[in-house]
Amino acid sequence: MAGYDTAGEIQNTYVSAHDEFGADPNFWMRYFAPSPAADLFEDDPSAECSGAWDSGGPHIGCISAPSQGNLSSTSAQGTADAETFAAAIQSAYYAVTPLDLPSNNILICWLDQEYSTTLSLSYWDAWANYIANYNFADLGTYPLYPGLYCTPESPYPNCSTIAQATGLDIPYAVWSAEWEPCGGLASPPAWDAQACSTVPTKLWQYGEQGACGYSANVDLDEGAPGFNNADYCLVVVSNP
Amino acid sequence: MFHRRKTGAVGLLHSGRLASGLSRREVLAGGVGAGALLAFPIGSPGSGSTAATGSAASSGSWYAFLYGTPESSPYPGGSFMAAQSPASASSSAHSPFQLASTLAATPVTSPDQATVALATVDTTAHGAKVTLTLIDQATAAVSKQGSLTLAGVPADASILATPVFAPGTTTVALVLAIMIPSTGGTLRKTDQSGKVTTATATTWKSHHELAYFDSSSGTFTGAFDLADEPSLALTTVAANGTDLFVWTTPKQQPTAYSKANPKPAPLSTVRAFPLGSGKPRFSVQSPAPWPGGEPVATLASGDIARLVYARNLQVCSAKTGDITSHTLAPLAVDRPKPSAVTMQARPDGTLFIAKPGIGTAVIVDPADSFRVKSQVKFSVPRAPGSAPWTKAVLSSSGDTLYVVGGASSGGVSAYDVSTGKLTASYAQGGRQYTGLSVLPDGNVLAVGPTHPRLAFFSPALSLLHTVDTSLQIAAVY
Repeated sequence: MAGYDTAGEIQNTYVSAHDEFGADPNFWMRYFAPSPAADLFEDDPSAECSGAWDSGGPHIGCISAPSQGNLSSTSAQGTADAETFAAAIQSAYYAVTPLDLPSNNILICWLDQEYSTTLSLSYWDAWANYIANYNFADLGTYPLYPGLYCTPESPYPNCSTIAQATGLDIPYAVWSAEWEPCGGLASPPAWDAQACSTVPTKLWQYGEQGACGYSANVDLDEGAPGFNNADYCLVVVSNP
Repeated sequence: MFHRRKTGAVGLLHSGRLASGLSRREVLAGGVGAGALLAFPIGSPGSGSTAATGSAASSGSWYAFLYGTPESSPYPGGSFMAAQSPASASSSAHSPFQLASTLAATPVTSPDQATVALATVDTTAHGAKVTLTLIDQATAAVSKQGSLTLAGVPADASILATPVFAPGTTTVALVLAIMIPSTGGTLRKTDQSGKVTTATATTWKSHHELAYFDSSSGTFTGAFDLADEPSLALTTVAANGTDLFVWTTPKQQPTAYSKANPKPAPLSTVRAFPLGSGKPRFSVQSPAPWPGGEPVATLASGDIARLVYARNLQVCSAKTGDITSHTLAPLAVDRPKPSAVTMQARPDGTLFIAKPGIGTAVIVDPADSFRVKSQVKFSVPRAPGSAPWTKAVLSSSGDTLYVVGGASSGGVSAYDVSTGKLTASYAQGGRQYTGLSVLPDGNVLAVGPTHPRLAFFSPALSLLHTVDTSLQIAAVY
């Protein structure tokens, strides 16, 4: 089942996306702070949730895209970036009553590593460890799990970095940016995502707006066979 | 490949050549080498953080600086190197050399581009030692260095140290985010195979302190504890000739919130501290977003401009803290993927802003309601959101825009800022570059993923030299 990712606001995006692809998404992947060049979900979470509800895809996946130079930095930067990311998700959760955690209590929090960005082990370990240890809303259930969006076959360290992670720092999953056969929403291509050797790819961005000539402000993604990405997203249980 | 001493800084290669590419004989002979000898570490034995002292090299040419991660496992972050700009195509090329490792934050360039500030942190049983090192771009030498000890900071604390140049003064402020861990509670995690891991949870609390470094005397004032725990570590910081401006965000406390009574997120606060002081002159709430790496610049008026959502300028009055917002129409183009975005205050008072993800750069005039004075459109690069973010840079005179080539062509292109027309390009072999820097001598440095990673160009984009480095480059100065 396929869905969208976008740096725009869902409420201003879903109509044009539906017009172009003619189907409801299974989920939306949205940006949270620190993402200095994106519209942020937590800035107007109620309107975003209404948009997701109206789109027919009431599941919100969480991604953060820090300044990419940060990812080559040290553990202090990784801890600080993860702290703001977790706080931003929590602030949206507190701002919208019908926005809830996934029922399996596994909310994958994705770090955006772009193609020519290097991921240092010290940054990743600190970032992932903060996410895994976050006592979300003081629930005592620690529902946040780190995940990495990357291009596994990029020449820059990504898979080789996370291969060295241990314990709680090991990513729950990889979200692959390649390959890119394009395609629509209702009939996504057969699974052909790039993969790392130690962490399974569970989400695949098979169509990017620019490369695939889409007009709506979305990229297209699908979960791996047997993996329903919506189960690992925030859930909008009613229209706020 | 570097071979490191235990202190983590530059050591001798087995071949007898320093990581700088210089032999020990060359070093001891003086000249270029004299400074390189001083590039050995000054950190305490066993410390993981170091910055070089003394002149690393000096032969009349300018230096570009590189920040990133050594390409060898385990990919430690925060390395810093210098690469010499060649005088001409016939002059000999020098290998880049390492100046520092394990920096506590991304290096920061002075408003006049003449100096780069590096911060390193060493935590000990007695506290944390924060060292600020200023590197001169003309010589790659240390122009000043000073240290500050924060007593009582536990050894397992994590410190993000951000230098801030106060234009027109000798002050470099240091904004310190101090994150202290504690343990408690038991967490259970289930992996994809269903295996359950149980561990004791770690919780972090952050607060901020300020210090001021006088680059003429080499001494610190402070540190001043802002007593803002718990807050988020990330800040937005800038300074003018009289004040330091710091955006911070309180950490949301679950005890004050409930799902039944939804409340909006807490707002950030911007405070103005007179240089040298830990007491704010004003403290006002700031509209979203929270500090998260947004570009920031000090305007000629002394006001502070923050570029948010890659299209809106939030301008903070230096006098009152009041914030006004301006939308930059040429940048208000949405894309699904965030773009790199950069902003730079220019000597003539204008702002240069580039957003490679939509292939647009503009120069706006703050003195004329942020009117767009110039706009250049260019091909979108292959990976417009990736590091380094400097994919479109302006010449010192402001008349030429250099950009990394488009996704299909690669190379480097130059545009006339006044007309927006392409004036020169270099695209031999379709080689892809990922970031650029313009040096004070007018040369252009392009960096890329494949070896050799550095290409120096003349202002007219004639290739002068290629030079290699083992650094995976995240930022270029």
